[in-house]
Amino acid sequence: MSEEKKLTLGLFYCQHTPESSELDRQSLEEKYGKSIRLFPVPCSGRIEPIHFLRALEELTDVAYVITCPEGECQYFEGNLWAKKRVQRTKEIIESIGLGGDRIGIVMNSKENPRSLAVLADEIMENIIHLKPSPVLNPYR
Amino acid sequence: MPAKYMIHTQTAPNRFKPFTKSGIIAWTEGCLGCRACVKKQCVYRVYINRGLDTKQMIDSIDNQCMNCLRCVQGCPMELIHKSINPEYAALGDSHWTPDIIAQLWDQAETGKIPVSGSGYSGPFSGPGFDSMWTDMSEIVRPTRDGIHGREYISTGIDLGGTPRHLTFTDSGDLESDQALLVNIPLPIILRIPFFGSCGKDIIKGWAMAARGLGTFLALPNEMIKGELVDFKENLIPIISPGQHCSGDGLEGVRLVEVPWEKNCKDISQKIKQAHPSVLISCRTPLVRGVEERVLSIVDSGVSIVCLEGSSWGQSMDDNSIFLKDIIRSIHLALVENGMRDEVTILASGGLAMAEHVAKSIICGADGVVIDFPILIALECRMCGRCTKGLPCPVEIDQAEPSWVASRVINLLGAWHNQLLEVMGAMGIRDVRRLRGEAGRAIFFEDLDRNTFGSLGKIGEGYELE
Ligand code: SF4
Ligand code: SF4
Repeated sequence: MSEEKKLTLGLFYCQHTPESSELDRQSLEEKYGKSIRLFPVPCSGRIEPIHFLRALEELTDVAYVITCPEGECQYFEGNLWAKKRVQRTKEIIESIGLGGDRIGIVMNSKENPRSLAVLADEIMENIIHLKPSPVLNPYR
Repeated sequence: MPAKYMIHTQTAPNRFKPFTKSGIIAWTEGCLGCRACVKKQCVYRVYINRGLDTKQMIDSIDNQCMNCLRCVQGCPMELIHKSINPEYAALGDSHWTPDIIAQLWDQAETGKIPVSGSGYSGPFSGPGFDSMWTDMSEIVRPTRDGIHGREYISTGIDLGGTPRHLTFTDSGDLESDQALLVNIPLPIILRIPFFGSCGKDIIKGWAMAARGLGTFLALPNEMIKGELVDFKENLIPIISPGQHCSGDGLEGVRLVEVPWEKNCKDISQKIKQAHPSVLISCRTPLVRGVEERVLSIVDSGVSIVCLEGSSWGQSMDDNSIFLKDIIRSIHLALVENGMRDEVTILASGGLAMAEHVAKSIICGADGVVIDFPILIALECRMCGRCTKGLPCPVEIDQAEPSWVASRVINLLGAWHNQLLEVMGAMGIRDVRRLRGEAGRAIFFEDLDRNTFGSLGKIGEGYELE
């Protein structure tokens, strides 16, 4: 009997996310084990559709990006571009029948900034109902 | 004259893409579609050859970019930015800095001295070894034969002590015991680091490197079994504190390390009795009053003392005291007591760069013992995941012994060349003559005191204008 496969999440997060130091990242790895892959990025706008698509193909069942609050991006509009790109990627994967909810974006809020750990928990909660991805390379 | 010591290096490619200091952020939104786009003009064809390493989600535009900033400055819509790569900034800690780690990776891959471009943009002084500047007066008079060519510069040291004086019989024969010495061609000994995701193959690779370099690898005695037994001649078994050792199983080794503890003299005696030709090295942590302890160790007849500083190059019980200061005071205490040549002093703890080797020797050590650099040579990121039971991000334990050996040989090849550069520039032709040459270096603290000391202290509430 093979063990039931755990859903995996590839999480890109802006380096300015509160409490997202290397140690915080490792605490999350300890908590979620192989179910999470974390990638700090200099700016959420750095992530392009190709990053999401390759992540779904080679790394994880679901891919999300965490951005700074609107208007707070160090590079002015990075998080707005990230939003558009997530939308575009959703359309692409829906068109191949994969379900757009495998891709997501979470914008932190200015009034109530949440830490990386809290955001990761929320995302995990959000995706729990999803099934393992049929396109994920089993030999990765 | 013995044959010239050379370390033959050969590129040993990284198994994982290394993190680079900076990354490119290039928006496509707002692009005017210029015919002569700056991205097409990149001389390194960074944008044209763009690819993604999915294993680590590393974009090749970061790794291939040479930071000329041409594209950043040239885009009329300012759509291209350069940023610090957060993965790079998260490497290591305040001592094992990302820059040091990245340089060690590079040296282990290529075997070449790191070159950071023209000019030096860093600070001129810092804590620890960074507050030492070596005399490079001979750099203006390069040797005719070139330090890497026919010029003979020796980096070999003798491990062991020489007797204070010789005694002869009436008939003129030598009465005193012959000095027991082991020569290594490089003043660097390897030691297994106290953490790291390293299995049997890694240790075998390190032993192969120690043999290839003609030096030693120090590792706990109980680890020497199986295939490692063949490498005994280049291994230093470390007797664990409290471990009973009567010398069994030490056949074929040339050097043994015993920790400083109450009964270490007894252990040394027992080993000596069982194996008279084995040299004993006593490891002592650098703590307050260590000078007295070193004198007593030497007095008891131990001929090698290994000083163990913290992993950040400081004293074990006071992080305001740096390795360089303790080595100096121990060296001077031995000189004052007329015992300096009776012992070989090895310094260890936090030695992270080739210059630390030369600087430790200038402060008074004979040689050094390095630990984490041989792990970082294997692409370790000093992340500490292996200490928490998390998987190693660079799967170090999967590495082949031959690759491990090549990486470490490359690293030490680059360090050896840097040592030659420093000695060549100082006009010193033998590393044994570099020992304790503190007069050939400037210490920032001394300079500061001599220049500004007479001005007194700034009173509280005042500021320098
Ligand atoms: S900064 Fe220079 S090397 Fe880097 S991508 Fe731009 S043009 Fe190419
Ligand atoms: S990379 Fe991290 S987990 Fe791997 S050996 Fe180095 S410190 Fe340990």
